[in-house]
Amino acid sequence: MEIKETAVAGTLESSDIQIMISKAADGIQIDLQSDVEKQFGDQIRSVITTTLNEMGVTAAKVKAVDKGALDCVIKARAIAAVQRASQTTDQPAWEVL
Amino acid sequence: MDNQIVDLYLKDAATKHDWQAFLESLGINNFAEREVDQIDFTIGIYQAGELVATGSVAGNVLKYIGVCNKGVTSGARFNTIVSELVNRMFAKGVYHLFVFTKLKYSESFQHIGFSELTHSDEAAFLETGSPDVHDFLADVPTVSDQAHKKVAGIVMNANPFTLGHRYLVEQAATENDLVYVFVVNTDLSLFSTAEREQLVRAGTSDLSNVIVVNGGDYMVSYATFPAYFLPSKDQAITYQTTLDARIFRDVIAPALHVTTRYLGTEPTSRTTSQYNQVLNQELPPRVAVKVVDRQVAALSDQPVITATEVRQFIKNGSLQDLKAYVPDTTAQFIQNHLVTLQTRIQKGMNIDGN
Amino acid sequence: MAENEERLRRTMMFVPGNNPAMVKDAGIYGADSIMFDLEDSVSMAEKDAARVLVYEALQTQDYGDAELVVRVNGQDTPYYENDVKAMVKAGIDIIRLPKAESPEMVQQLEADIIAAEKQFGLPEGSTGLMAAIESAKGVMNAYPIASASKRMMGIALSAEDYTTDMKTHRYPDGAELEFARNMVLHAARAAGVAAFDTVFTNMDDTEGFYRETEYIHQLGFDGKSLVNPRQIPMVNKVYEPTEKEIRNAKNVINAIEEARLKGSGVISMNGQMVDRPVVLRAQRVMRIAKASNLVDEEGNYIEK
Repeated sequence: MEIKETAVAGTLESSDIQIMISKAADGIQIDLQSDVEKQFGDQIRSVITTTLNEMGVTAAKVKAVDKGALDCVIKARAIAAVQRASQTTDQPAWEVL
Repeated sequence: MDNQIVDLYLKDAATKHDWQAFLESLGINNFAEREVDQIDFTIGIYQAGELVATGSVAGNVLKYIGVCNKGVTSGARFNTIVSELVNRMFAKGVYHLFVFTKLKYSESFQHIGFSELTHSDEAAFLETGSPDVHDFLADVPTVSDQAHKKVAGIVMNANPFTLGHRYLVEQAATENDLVYVFVVNTDLSLFSTAEREQLVRAGTSDLSNVIVVNGGDYMVSYATFPAYFLPSKDQAITYQTTLDARIFRDVIAPALHVTTRYLGTEPTSRTTSQYNQVLNQELPPRVAVKVVDRQVAALSDQPVITATEVRQFIKNGSLQDLKAYVPDTTAQFIQNHLVTLQTRIQKGMNIDGN
Repeated sequence: MAENEERLRRTMMFVPGNNPAMVKDAGIYGADSIMFDLEDSVSMAEKDAARVLVYEALQTQDYGDAELVVRVNGQDTPYYENDVKAMVKAGIDIIRLPKAESPEMVQQLEADIIAAEKQFGLPEGSTGLMAAIESAKGVMNAYPIASASKRMMGIALSAEDYTTDMKTHRYPDGAELEFARNMVLHAARAAGVAAFDTVFTNMDDTEGFYRETEYIHQLGFDGKSLVNPRQIPMVNKVYEPTEKEIRNAKNVINAIEEARLKGSGVISMNGQMVDRPVVLRAQRVMRIAKASNLVDEEGNYIEK
């Protein structure tokens, strides 16, 4: 899936994560801010990367502000952000859900 | 509805009254038209009929954020309000947002993804989203081995680009290996940002070591800084210019290896001289300040060259008089667009400012 | 549906579908049913995100024994189709249709559910449905709606939109809802499905909440829709059977056991034949008594 424009999903409220995805030349770069960065930073990054890979995104710049989100929330926000950024919100990626 | 985010329509007198009273109870006291009129939308949260949280957006700046934490987890409502403002702007395709706030709230904003660009003793300036200042700086052209070159910077509005501006740039260009000319990116002038940038480029195209850059959101015209949360006007001007100076000093200059900032004098403008005064206080020793007296540039029998006077000539259609004040490139542009420019003046564009 | 009769449905807790904190914790309050909302509590800009969030939460979160319901967006919105597909794929128990006004709307939902079950290779019939009555027209069509599908789990009155449609608003005494409550309840009973009363939003009026809950319990509603988990124990308290009801129910259960041991086709007690409604009520009382910790494992009343 191709990132066509910058898009965001999620909020800055407790238990959520705000994920912003924009275009990048190649590779997935993740800029993560989290209170639990030390403990769970790698895991959060891995959930985002895995989700993006599953959606066929190979190049993207990701900015994430985590407020203590569970993995399922991270995945949900990543999916929503990618769908918005690729302008495919109307055609959910059923195989990834 | 309790604890849900609602739109507040400040056009409604009763709503505005409640909103203002609530913010006043939190120590925000400036509701000058110049601040309030710029608000695009306002949201709030009510609890049992009382406003307990609010926030607004003007352009790409979050404003008038006030939260009462009584009876709830500290910070929860703040996050809710800021989150909603940010998400609404993102939904509109505005992905880059700013906030100017009291220094003590800087941390709260940083906690929810904002990065502090700079702060003074009482105020902080933060941004969130994309593209951010790192993206901005990454897009500025550089030369090889820039770190070991002598690099200068000039920030100008150039409304329009005059021989005075030209003289300033020339001086810097002879004294340095590389000169960045940052054109202020605010469309409140007779000449649009694109036009001003074009005229600066055209007027300096013969100077091979000059790079003209749109100042983006970081060489903010100090006139646009909101100051509603500060008690007095004098404080406001100092705070605005201080923040502007510090962004240049702490963020822009180090990234581009700028070691000297060139300033022109503007003897007829009080705000400019105030601004220059603050730059002189803030920039050294990290960035040297070099003031070039514009009067030197004036022909001996001519008065001081100021963009203000040039705009007066445009208004009067005195193209011949104008030629002594601006480079040929600017004169040509004005001649080609005289009617358009005069129409803008007739429509009420203020030409007396900077 | 036999399965429907087995369930307790005293409390149906609303959970805003785009709020991760609430979606995550929805299972810990002991609600009989959890209703994830994709409709009114979610702004238009967040419809897609809420749908994905609820979907992912359903894949991973443990909601215990609660019946899981999702309120999708209305059939006249562009979100409805993907809401239904996603929730069927997620394996939700019940899809709740808002603003139901006719049996055709329910049949449309049923057809969409069947199509989605096929698309995602799920056993046909795995997803149930329910309808919310939110208008005068919906109230007048309550029975046709309640009996429109064999997947129908129940119908619910939703008073906010209904009172607006009726050119009134909600009052503490609930007189404005009297007709609608009775219509919805009768339609549900006649169709053999569950009946849910509307929400009570003023969290500060505990007394008013008890008064309303006692009233709808008296009418015969299965339960109430709730906006705040704090209301769950309050409803459960109102629905607690009395000691006498429990002892009676225990007797009926004993009579059933007797008949089963004797191999008799007829259940009798005190010389009277025990018919089906009585059996069902006794089973229901015992389930509530167990859920309320009023009886021990064997069904004996625990003295307080």
